[in-house]
Amino acid sequence: MSNTDTSDSLITTDVETGSNDRTAPSNRTAVAARDLNVFYGDEQAIDDVSIEIPEKRVTALIGPSGCGKSTFLRCINRMNDMIDVCRVEGDVTFGGKNVYDADVDPVALRRKIGMVFQKPNPFPKSIRDNVAYGLKIQGFDGDVDARVEESLKGAALWDEVKDQLDSSGLDLSGGQQQRLCIARAIAPDPEVILMDEPTSALDPVAASKIEDLIDDLAEEYTVIIVTHNMQQAARISDRTAVFLTGGQLVEYDDTTKIFEDPEEQRVEDYITGKFG
Amino acid sequence: MVTLLTTVAIFVTLLSDTVAFFSQIPVTEFLTSTNWSPNPAGGGQVFGIVPLVIGTLTVTITAAFIALPVGTLTAIYLSEYATSNARSILKPLLEILAGIPTVVYGYFALVYITPVLKATLFPEISTFNALSASLMVGIMTIPMVSSISEDAMSAVPDDLRQAGYGLGATKFEVSTGIVVPASVSGIASSYILAVSRAIGETMIVVVAMGAQARMPAVQELAFGIPFVNPADVLLDSGMTITVAMVQIAGGDLVGGTIPYDAMFALGLTLFVVTLVMNVFSDIIAQRYREEY
Amino acid sequence: MGTDNAHAGGFGEVSRVRGIVFEYLSLGASVLGIFALAVLLVYVTIDAFDLANASPEWLLTYFVTLVVPYLAFCLYSANDRTLTRRTLGVLGGGLVATAVVFTAIETVVRPIPRLTWQLAYLFVVALPLTGYVTYVGSRGRVGQVGFGLLGRLIGGTAIGLALGILFLVFDPRLWFLAYTLGFVPAAAAYGYGRLRSAPRAITAAIPIGLLGTVAAVALRSVVDTYPTTVLIYLWTLAIPIALAGALVAADRGGRIAAAAVGGAPLALAAAVGLFGEAAGLGIGGPNALLVLTLAGVPTAVFLHRVADVGEGAVGLALPVLLAVGALAGALLVEAWGVPAPDPWLNGMFVTEAPSRTPEDAGLYPAIVGSVIIIAMVALLSFALGVGTSVFLEEYTAGSGTVGSLTRLLQINIANLAAIPSVVYGLLGLGLFANLLGLGFGTAVTVSLTLSLLILPITIISAQEAIRSVPDDLRRGSDAMGATRWQTTKNVVLPEAFPGILTGTILALGRAIGETAPLIMVGAATTVFSPPSSLFSKFSAMPMQIYAWAGFPQAEFRYGVVAAGVITLLIILVGMNGTAILLRNRAERGH
Repeated sequence: MSNTDTSDSLITTDVETGSNDRTAPSNRTAVAARDLNVFYGDEQAIDDVSIEIPEKRVTALIGPSGCGKSTFLRCINRMNDMIDVCRVEGDVTFGGKNVYDADVDPVALRRKIGMVFQKPNPFPKSIRDNVAYGLKIQGFDGDVDARVEESLKGAALWDEVKDQLDSSGLDLSGGQQQRLCIARAIAPDPEVILMDEPTSALDPVAASKIEDLIDDLAEEYTVIIVTHNMQQAARISDRTAVFLTGGQLVEYDDTTKIFEDPEEQRVEDYITGKFG
Repeated sequence: MVTLLTTVAIFVTLLSDTVAFFSQIPVTEFLTSTNWSPNPAGGGQVFGIVPLVIGTLTVTITAAFIALPVGTLTAIYLSEYATSNARSILKPLLEILAGIPTVVYGYFALVYITPVLKATLFPEISTFNALSASLMVGIMTIPMVSSISEDAMSAVPDDLRQAGYGLGATKFEVSTGIVVPASVSGIASSYILAVSRAIGETMIVVVAMGAQARMPAVQELAFGIPFVNPADVLLDSGMTITVAMVQIAGGDLVGGTIPYDAMFALGLTLFVVTLVMNVFSDIIAQRYREEY
Repeated sequence: MGTDNAHAGGFGEVSRVRGIVFEYLSLGASVLGIFALAVLLVYVTIDAFDLANASPEWLLTYFVTLVVPYLAFCLYSANDRTLTRRTLGVLGGGLVATAVVFTAIETVVRPIPRLTWQLAYLFVVALPLTGYVTYVGSRGRVGQVGFGLLGRLIGGTAIGLALGILFLVFDPRLWFLAYTLGFVPAAAAYGYGRLRSAPRAITAAIPIGLLGTVAAVALRSVVDTYPTTVLIYLWTLAIPIALAGALVAADRGGRIAAAAVGGAPLALAAAVGLFGEAAGLGIGGPNALLVLTLAGVPTAVFLHRVADVGEGAVGLALPVLLAVGALAGALLVEAWGVPAPDPWLNGMFVTEAPSRTPEDAGLYPAIVGSVIIIAMVALLSFALGVGTSVFLEEYTAGSGTVGSLTRLLQINIANLAAIPSVVYGLLGLGLFANLLGLGFGTAVTVSLTLSLLILPITIISAQEAIRSVPDDLRRGSDAMGATRWQTTKNVVLPEAFPGILTGTILALGRAIGETAPLIMVGAATTVFSPPSSLFSKFSAMPMQIYAWAGFPQAEFRYGVVAAGVITLLIILVGMNGTAILLRNRAERGH
């Protein structure tokens, strides 16, 4: 309990939840949600979700389309703020702090959390400037080139692009573009990387490269990945959360448990393809 | 077909009289002489386009100083900041700026802007001056810059903005660091169009700038660098290419006289310059359309 | 569990100062031009109506008799309590705020010339508020009825006056012959064909009409006794318009209604037209007939419809309300003896010829010139624009030689739109005035030049309208075995028509304000009598403004020209407003 801000009762409660961690006592919690409800206008996208996501592990969020898994991901770095009709109730804590607290600056929050999107979206700038963008806006005063190189190596892209750092990021292939986006996301050294179906727009070969990369990233980062592809979740994740229609979190456990012996019949039906 | 005929007709009409003009006045005089006095009564006719080009450039550059930054900021505001409500009010209002007849702008410049400038900032300003005309030309061309630039900015995919926000960029950083660079070809194309519009603008300058073909007094700055005091040019009257054409046309129009032909030579110059600029702007605009 | 609280103190904060400054800067930039124009328009309005000399009492009188009832009407129509409360709040709060801020600026900074706080209140608070309340009120049923009636009265009057002006140049007697010999038999043949389903009679209608017109042209020089102009208008315009109105009413309400809707305005118009002057009404003659017919028939049709629907009939009181308000205001001002402004823009200004003395100067010949030019430009550019755009959209292939030619044409059109108008003037001068000998500054030369000038705009907007017709409709028609032309004529053009019309009117707005090409083709800056034929010397409103702006006297610069500018802008706003109304109606239809 090193929480110094005792006046903030929500945080105190959160920490107590964290100490009651039943699923992975050996790991620390990176991100947690408690009684989270999200609405788009009148429509409920997330229904009373509570979850604790461990640090430096790959956690997969799976479920049919429209089940709220992407919405949940976007709650963590408050990207939902940009949708006018979106309303969030409940807590999402990151490192013990509720990100929806009034004193949280979402922009500062996002600088601690990297994000990779469904479609590769490099900026129409050079490869170097793409990777350096996050450093630039955060006022990084170290050796930018070194960090660019490090990030590109971390994204397993360095060998392919080291001779063309000044050419446009848009000239790369789809898979390379997505790895460039990963490099861009890890360059400012975030603690958590959110991935929203990062391989769904790629061919299988490019996708498998990204999967290998995700495995490596978990050494250093907490990775939370939304995926449509159950095999992918089974291959790369340590923990899996299954969302079903209506935004409910139906089951959350170690990936092996989910895929081999799920508690819930609905989850088994979904995984075996009977539903969804 | 009519349209193609129109283009050809414009070109042929302009060219035939231009050829007649250059058969009497050497091209070198037209391009290099620093004097423009088409009136035979005023002691010898001289047809030098240089002072007219200077007048046109004065107006164009001053107008660009207003229209380009204001138009670009407007486009950014409309595309990135404005709510859809604000957009639906602002856009038609901006279109009005381009819909006011230019002779009305000229009247505004002459009757309202110049006296205000005289009473406040520049007591030495003359009744006809380049500054107030340029201000009005600038205001008139704002919507050209803003609407084309905004189209280009709106065409920037939302993915890119999301990527920026995901990295923890503020709205300001996303707007200026991502959206503007990504739409730069569209913005450039709008600049060229606006400038070409300012070059061809006629009535505002005719009414408010007067009709005196002048060469600005070149002073010598330190170290012998030639220098033109902008106040000399802006606060005094001047003559643009378009004004020169209107001035000749306002006199007696007799086909075949040298001033009559000179008018067509000026028209051809204007036509070629604006056409080249438009084609150029089109090519640039193509690029941003293809990018995504 | 310490590290769980790694961010317990928050995530830090990123400075938004630059962002906020930038946002307001760009907002400021967005409104800069609009604001500048608004200020200039306020001043030109003040000058045109001599509002600087309007005493507070005068303003107050009209505010009470005219603005307050009008606002009340709109609020009644909107039927929204919060809106009413807010309106009252803005009116009252705005009054105090304007007075305070204005006085503060005057005392602290510098006096604001020719503006009092009452005028500032009028322009900054009352006018925008009235505009907004009008917008909201016009959506209620009562407002729809009221503004519909007002629009038909004003629009009908404007069109009637414009028609009257057109007959200054177009020979009414030739029109009489062509109508009687060409149009009437053709319409009869067509009607007969429809009634008896005799397709041959329908096919014959067009040749009959053409033949009759040719005969009319030939006979014009032979026949030399004609009915009076009033009778010609009655026969050729008033009766068919009344018939059309009666037909519309007959569809809905049966014979008696039809007779009333067509007959009543016709009878009134005929009576005033024929006997008005003799009876000492002060109005009469051919133009009164035209105005009364064109305003009366649509009004009658509208009244009938309102009576039929039976909703919002209270709205019909709006014109009465305004007329009574204006009258009451005038009487009160008179009785009270408050000094009233002496507007430059008054009845005399739009009916008199220009003059060297500012008090006598009028815009009439220039207005006539503008109306004639616009009518001709409308016909020319509509025909050319629709033709070209139909060809480009419906008949050209996407590839091959034709395809690349189409692309060339397309690029060419876009570039034509950006050529300075003064260059078009040179084209008109060289081609129409000199080469084809149509004369310097004649209506024909000017109209042809302006048509070419706005052609690219009409084509582009017509293309957009045609493109927005869903392809399903075309395929549906094609599947019925229709030819390309049948599909275009029966499906595409009717669907695209409102869009094309809107685009054309907007382009005409551009044409009406053009000055440079007019100077280039040698249009007169000032003519003292309205033109009598298409080949006589012409002026137009912007030309007259240009001429007057050069006059050194303050009365011209700050009075007469301001009145001219306001007249031009009112006509522009009217045209563009019509275009926007048409577009909105077309959009609602879909």
